[in-house]
Formats: sequence, structure tokens, C-alpha cells
Amino acid sequence: MNPSEVAAATEGGAVVLDLRPPRPFATEHLPGALTMQFNRADLADRAELMLPQELRLVVHAEPEPIAKVAVEILLDAGFDVLGHLEGGLKAWRVEGRPTETLPLIDVDDLHGSLAAYTVVDAREGFEYRHAHIEGAVLFPPGEAWERADELPARTPLAVVCGDQTRSAYVASILRRRGCDAVLVMGGMVDWLERGYPIERAAA
Amino acid sequence: MIFKQFRYEPLFQASYLLGCSRAREGFVVDPIADLGLDFYVLEAADQGLDIVGVLETHVHADFVSCARELAEMTGAPHYLHEAAEGLVRYEFTPFGDGETLSVGQIDVQAIHTPGHTPEHTCFLVTDHARSDEPWAVLTGDSLFVGDVGRPDLLVGDQALDVFGETERAELQFRSIREELFTLPDHVEVFPNHYGGSTCGGVNMSGKASSTISFERRFNLALSQPDAAAFASFVRETAKPFPDNYQWIKSYNLGLITKDELEGARRA
Repeated sequence: MNPSEVAAATEGGAVVLDLRPPRPFATEHLPGALTMQFNRADLADRAELMLPQELRLVVHAEPEPIAKVAVEILLDAGFDVLGHLEGGLKAWRVEGRPTETLPLIDVDDLHGSLAAYTVVDAREGFEYRHAHIEGAVLFPPGEAWERADELPARTPLAVVCGDQTRSAYVASILRRRGCDAVLVMGGMVDWLERGYPIERAAA
Repeated sequence: MIFKQFRYEPLFQASYLLGCSRAREGFVVDPIADLGLDFYVLEAADQGLDIVGVLETHVHADFVSCARELAEMTGAPHYLHEAAEGLVRYEFTPFGDGETLSVGQIDVQAIHTPGHTPEHTCFLVTDHARSDEPWAVLTGDSLFVGDVGRPDLLVGDQALDVFGETERAELQFRSIREELFTLPDHVEVFPNHYGGSTCGGVNMSGKASSTISFERRFNLALSQPDAAAFASFVRETAKPFPDNYQWIKSYNLGLITKDELEGARRA
């Protein structure tokens, strides 16, 4: 699909699924895009776990061979996929179309201004119970689409997971819903490595 | 660290993907066109790695490189040793001896090891997440498992034939002895070829990795007492030349187009 076809599709309610790594996604992506990790082995499983089947999807991945394979995998898994963005972000930008960013912070930033954020923990319950940041809201990626409206729209949300894979997905959903979400790069692995305080069990 | 060796069995060729699993960035080393661009792009994507550099140990003579195309597709620089300047007819990003390229906690240091070709370089890999000591070395066509890269594949291109064959063999001998065999014992060796590859002699092992200490003790070519003995040993144990190597080398140097290469192969 060329950029104008993608734009028309999203105006008609289709959602862009961005399969690039978290950093390039955060730097610049198509408006309203969701992001997820690409991997031939388990993209289908992860999409089934995390994405509602009723979404109509347009894939954005770079370079192009990844996008083509991803479209096939998602179609085989029964998703309604319209195609992929040909020419990637470059083609989109050439036409002067709008893009969005996802703000990134690291664990030191988060630790330094913890009071300013509601921490959203995009891991599973067993991981959360083992160790989480005090006051963090448990928010597994499989529930994120359904539960996105539970979170305060006006408070900044800092989204964490083990690294920044699941948290990028959850942050992209929250931003699509209009929340002020930032992605914490390095996640709980970095947080624990720094020896920052944690809570165990509960929730 | 993410470290993958890809083997293309028909040519006994090994290429590599290495990167930092935390930084999610990686390098591809010595990609081969027979596996194809999609192969490398998808393998890197499966590991969650963005390809941020395409490195070559040298300009190859026995297989068609896809480093230029892979660099273009990914937007990553194509790195070759600076001695390739003036030899190749395309743009690349030069590095010097001892220079280090990094992704996250992984360092890749260039060790210039001329002999097989003038620009030949090995890549010393350190994963600082494990240790500040090097872990592995990608030896290209200098040190093979059980053998060495042949110093006589420049013939097809007279412009490159700057040293005589014996001089190049001596250079290869010194490069390996002084630059590679001085590395710590535990350093793993990952060559560009193995087994039946015609880039080395009859003693090449089918095993596609080794260690510095094992090769220092048991590599027959390097057990020769001096450079002259090494040169004759290499000549005597050489295999036949690789198919079409002059044409392949010319293509990899950017002297002829892919169509010209295909035409020459058909003729």
C-alpha cells in the first residue's frame, strides 16, 4: 500500500501495526500506530494474545522483507490485514504526512521523578509479584486493549516491563487512547541492577 | 550477546550476526548473496536486532558478497579496512587497524591481518556484559580451523597483485603468528570458511569453530618453523582454485556489474 492508501485506510478505522524495534518506533511512527515485536517464531501467538481479532491492520516494518513476511504470518493467523506500508517511513515523510513520537526515559529518570508518574507495569502477575516498583499498576499486555480506559488520562504514565518490548506495546495502546504515556527503556532489569527500591507480592 | 553463525554449505562459507540483546543493535559480517538479503534482514529481526553495520573481513574471491546491497537496504554503513581504498570502485566506510565498532556492550575491534588480501582484517569480539577480555575472533580467510587462507587468489586482478605469492604467504604467516596467536588462549575462532572450501588447503577441518590455543598447538600450516617453510607448505597443500574466482573477485571489487558476472559464469 502506498502512503495515501494507508492514510485512507486509517481514516476508515484501520490500525497501523508497527513491527520495528522500540527505539525507532519511539523516534517516529505513523499516527495512532501500535507496536509489537516481530519474530517469525511467535508473531502469530503474540498477536493472538495481545491484539483484538476484529482490528483491521496495516503493517509497518522495515526493511520491506520483514513487512511482507509479517503480513503473511498475520493473515495465516486469521487477522484482517490490508497490506503493508510500501517504502516505509521515508515514503510517508516525502508526502509530508504527520507522524508521532513516543517519549523515552531511562530508569534513572524514573527514579529521580517517581512522584510525577503513575507506573504501569506491563508484565505478567508472577513477574510483578516477584518484584515491582512501589505503587505500580499491574497491566499485562494481553489485557491492555480492554483495560486502557481504566488509567488516568491526565497523569503521566511511565510504562515498564522486563526490558522495553511489552512496555512499548502497552505504551502505544495508551497513547492511542490519548493517555500521556512514556516508555521506560531498560525496564525492571535496569531498575533492579541499579538497586532501586522494590516491593514484593500483592496485586 | 547475540551471536549466530550462518553456514552456506555448498561453498562451506560462514557469515555472522552479532549484537547486543539489550541495545537491540547488531552487525552482519561477510554476508553471502546465495543466502540473500531477506535471509539476513529476517534473521536480525527475529533476534530483535536493528542492523547498524555491515562488516567485511576482506573483498572475497570465492563467493558473491551482498554487503553493498544489505547496507543499502538497511541504511547501515558498509565497513571495510582502509587498505581497500583505491582497490574497490564503490563507496564504503573505512576503518583502521585497532579501531573499535560498538553496539551496546559489544565491542568489535579491527585487527589488520594482511596476507590473503592486503585489506584483510579479523574482528575481535568482546562482550562487556560477561568480561572485559575478548571472547571470540572472526578470522575471515586468515586463520582457518586446521588450515590457513590461501595467499594466491589475487591473480585474476593484476592491479591488486602488489606482492609476489611468497611475500604474501610470509605476510599471512606473520599476521597470524603476531596478531592472532598472541591473543588469550580462551578466545574462540570463527572463520569465514571450513571443510571443503577452496579458499584453504587440504587440512581444513569440517568443524567451523575452534580456539586460539587449539590452533596454536595443532594447526599444521602454522607449525612450520619459518615463513619460507610455511609458504611452501601452503603451496603444496593447496586445493584447486575456486570456480570463477577472477570474475567473482572483480564483481566484489565493483569492477564489473552483476549482469557481467552472470554472463561470464554462463560462458
